Amino acid sequence: MKILDTQDALLPNYEVYQLLVDQQVAQKRAQRPAPGNHQIICSQVLTYLRETPSPLANQEQTKTYNNNSAQTLVDKLRPLSLGLEKGELLQIMNLRPSSSALLSTVVEQLEDRLSEEKQAALLEIIAEVLGRDEPTDKEAIESIENGN
Amino acid sequence: MFFLSKIADVIQIHPEKFNMRSEDALHENINTKYANKVIQGLGLCISLWDICWASEGLCDVYTGLCNVNVEFRMVVFRPFEGEVLQARIVSQTEEGIHLTVGFFDDIFVPGSELADGAQFRPDPDSNGKATWVVDLEEDDEKLYYDNHEMVHFSVLSEEWHDQTPTGPVEAEADPADQQLLPPYKIIGTMNAPGLGVCLWWQE
Repeated sequence: MKILDTQDALLPNYEVYQLLVDQQVAQKRAQRPAPGNHQIICSQVLTYLRETPSPLANQEQTKTYNNNSAQTLVDKLRPLSLGLEKGELLQIMNLRPSSSALLSTVVEQLEDRLSEEKQAALLEIIAEVLGRDEPTDKEAIESIENGN
Repeated sequence: MFFLSKIADVIQIHPEKFNMRSEDALHENINTKYANKVIQGLGLCISLWDICWASEGLCDVYTGLCNVNVEFRMVVFRPFEGEVLQARIVSQTEEGIHLTVGFFDDIFVPGSELADGAQFRPDPDSNGKATWVVDLEEDDEKLYYDNHEMVHFSVLSEEWHDQTPTGPVEAEADPADQQLLPPYKIIGTMNAPGLGVCLWWQE
């Protein structure tokens, strides 16, 4: 065994989630069980990613994340010129912070770097692109249903 | 939290898998060898991502095994320093709190890295079981780090322990080393606004 590249690319949780879900579907179709160790770790990772308050908890129903989420998020944040690092964007994708308390853990020195208006704008865009937490989601669904 | 690592290896395919598509056979063999295992200095391997390149298979005359040189990318779990993750409290001792993310259990937050003023003491409300508690000054409230509670923590550092067996002479010389240490351990902190039990920060 030889390691060619320790960090070829960073993966957002959503892409890992999608890979594991696709693998499960493929395995069911092939009707051939996966190796035991692989099956165990995959189901454990999926369980973890689906645990609230993970933003992927209701991914099956809400489908708030898709393959273009990352690109959309970056495009929408560009006009604000926040100067976020790659790691910070990745964590925003993974954790979907809904309050400035959680945002401050993800973005280093939040208070110094971003004014309150910019923080609010950032949170607004996160909620718009990646969706909101569960209760708000339910309200949104209800309001859509009522509208129809 | 997850990233891709490129690895080159020789994969041996057993003759009983010769009826499978070679790609499927490689997938299966790579996952059998790597999934759910820690590689020192790399992280915990989760699953195969894709195969970048594979050579022609060469059959061994004696065993019938087909040897294939493969370059592939694995999904690896290794949170970077300062990354915030969600995890669940498993147990707690005087030294600190043990966390789990379900597929990886060796996460530890020392008592000194909990919120300021956190104390480890028996609590009358939880059948005398000792837990870490934070006393809030303002309105005499207490915040508990209960077991099974979801928390956010930030990665402080990591520890690697190579588990390659040592020779018998060496092992006898130092019995303390014989204790099995986890191959990969994450040390975390929960001493910052936004970190700690998720419920505290919900609006």
